[in-house]
Amino acid sequence: MMIRSLHEVSNLAKEKGPKKLAVLAPEDGEFMMAVKEGWEKKYIEPVLIGHPEKMKKIAAEVGFDISRVEQIFEADRQAVANLGTAMLFAGSVDMASKGQIPTSFIYRAIIREEARAGTGRTVSVVSLWEIPELNRFIAFTDTGVNIKPDDKAKAEVIRNAVFVFHVLGYPRPKIAVLSGLREIGGSIASYEDALSLKQMAAAGAFGDCEIVEATSFGAIFLGQKGPLIRYDDIDLSRMPDILLVPNLDTGNVLVKLDFFLPVHRRSLVVTSKGPFLIPSRSDFCDSILGEIAMGVVVAERMKGGIWT
Amino acid sequence: MIGTFPEIIAAAKKRTSRKRVVLPFPDRQQIDIMGNAVAMNLIFPVLIGDGKKIESLVKAAPLLSGDHEMIDERDQSRSLSRAIGMIKENQADILMQGGIEPQTFVHAVLDTKNGLLSSKLASFVSVFQLLRRDKLILVTDTYINNTPSLPDKQMILENALRLAGILEIASPRVAVLAAIEQVNPGIPSTLDAAILAKMGERKQFGDVMVEGPLDIDCALNQEAAARKGVNSIVTGNVDIYLTPEIDTGYALAQLLVFIGRMQMAGVLMGTARPVILDLPFVSVENKIVEIALAVLMAEREGSHE
Repeated sequence: MMIRSLHEVSNLAKEKGPKKLAVLAPEDGEFMMAVKEGWEKKYIEPVLIGHPEKMKKIAAEVGFDISRVEQIFEADRQAVANLGTAMLFAGSVDMASKGQIPTSFIYRAIIREEARAGTGRTVSVVSLWEIPELNRFIAFTDTGVNIKPDDKAKAEVIRNAVFVFHVLGYPRPKIAVLSGLREIGGSIASYEDALSLKQMAAAGAFGDCEIVEATSFGAIFLGQKGPLIRYDDIDLSRMPDILLVPNLDTGNVLVKLDFFLPVHRRSLVVTSKGPFLIPSRSDFCDSILGEIAMGVVVAERMKGGIWT
Repeated sequence: MIGTFPEIIAAAKKRTSRKRVVLPFPDRQQIDIMGNAVAMNLIFPVLIGDGKKIESLVKAAPLLSGDHEMIDERDQSRSLSRAIGMIKENQADILMQGGIEPQTFVHAVLDTKNGLLSSKLASFVSVFQLLRRDKLILVTDTYINNTPSLPDKQMILENALRLAGILEIASPRVAVLAAIEQVNPGIPSTLDAAILAKMGERKQFGDVMVEGPLDIDCALNQEAAARKGVNSIVTGNVDIYLTPEIDTGYALAQLLVFIGRMQMAGVLMGTARPVILDLPFVSVENKIVEIALAVLMAEREGSHE
C-alpha cells in the first residue's frame, strides 16, 4: 500500500507499534515530550540512553515517569551515539532517534556500523514533506550529510531516497535533480550532475525510478507551457516525488520552510538495519512525534521486506 | 513603509511624471501588460521593432492605442542597442526586456563598456508579499550571479539595501542564510555569513541589523532560534534574506512561488536606470508590480527630467 499522508502514518504507527526506539540523549523538553507521547500512544517502547541527571531533570519537567521505561546511563555523547547505533545494527532496537547530540556524531557512528556490516550503504538524510492538497509525500534529499556532493555522492543519495520511497509503497518514484540552471549564466556544476545522473538512472543504476527533465521548480510547473499566467494555473500534481538538492545549503533552506509554509517535515536516515530519526534542534514536539510515527512505519515495512 | 503589492502600485501612481518605458521587440503579452500599465497611468511606452507587426499588436490592445510611441527597427539586435542608447541619452527612463532572448539582453545590459551597469555588480531581488501580514520581504540574489564571492555578496547586500530604502523599510533586518547557524569552516557559506554579520555589527552597511549565519528556521522563527541559542532581533522578523549562491536563491524563490503561492515581483539592481527582466515565473499580474517598482526607482533615484 502506498502511504500518502501523515494521518495514515499515525494510524499505522498505532496499529503496528510499539517498536523499540533507542533514544539518544533526550535532554530537551520538546524532544522528551514527544518521546513521552509516543510511548503513551504505544508507537514506541523507548530505551533512553544518556546522562542520568540530565534525563531525569528534563523528564520531570515534562511529567514523564521514566522509571517505567528502560534507561542506559552514559554521559559521553559520542559513546551515546555509538551505543544507540550499535543497538540498531544488532537488532536489539527497531529504530533510533537523535536527541541532543551533534548530528555529525550520529553520522560517524552509522558510517562505522554500515562499514562493519559490509553493506556499502552511505548515509544521507531524506526529509519528507506533506503538502496540503497533494495527496502523497514528496522528499528533499540529502538535507543533512553531504556539504557539496559530487555526482557520485549524489548517486548514492538517490539510491537511498529511492529505497525509502519503495518502502513507502511508491513503485517508481519520479526524481528531479535540482539546479540553479536558468536562462542566463551558462551551465553550472549542479546541472552537469543532473545530466550524468540521468544517464545513470536510464542505465538502471537506481532501480525502479525515473529522473525527470526539469531541474527547477519553474521547469517542473511551467514545462513548455510558457510563463506563469495566473497562480490558479499551478498544478501541484506535477511535483516529482524526490527532489535531489544540489548542496547542503540549498537543502536546509528549502526543507525547513515548514516553519513558514503550511507543510509538514519528517526527516530520517534510513540505515540498512532500520530508520534513524533526525529531528532538527529547533523542532517542536508535534513534529518530533510525527517523525517517531514515521519511523515506526518505516521500521515495520523494512522488517516485512515490502520493498523487495 | 510599503507593505503590500497594491501599496507599491499606489506609491508609483504618485509619480511626478509618466515614466517612459522602452521595449525592444515586444510580443503580444507584453503589449497587453503595457496597455494595463498605461491604463493605470503609470508609464508611457516606447515600442521598438517591426513597425507593421507592432501596429497590428497595438490594434488588438485597446488600452494602448494612441498612447504610445513607435520606432521602426526590424533588426532585433539593433533594436536592443537603440533601446539601451535611449536610456543612456535620457530619452527613456526604464528599459524592459521585451522580446529579446534573456542571455542576450542581460549580457548587453550588464556590459561594462556599453551597458547600464552603475554599481560594481548587478543582482536580482525577489520581492515577496507575506501571506498573513502586510509586509514585504526581499530575497536575493535569485537570478544573476552563480557563485558570488564575499565581496560580491557585500555588493548584493548593498543593492538589496538600496531597494529596501526605496520601499521605505527603516533599519532593515538582514538574515545571511546558510545550512546551519553555527560557523563551520567546512561550510564556506557560514564563513561569508559570519563576516557579513561582523561588518554589519561595525555599521559598515549603515543603520542595518545583519545576522548570520542563520539557517532558515532561525531566520523565520524567533522561538526556534532561541532553542538553538541564537538570540537576535533579526530572527522571526527578517526583511532581507541573502542566499549563499544561485542553486539556493533560484530554488528558494521558485518554491515560495509554486508551493508557497506567494506573490513575487523581481527587481534588477545595480543599473543606472531601472531595467525589467522578463522571468517566466513572475505572473502577468505581478509584472505590473515590477513596472510600478521600476517607476518608484526612477522617481526616487532621480529621473532625467
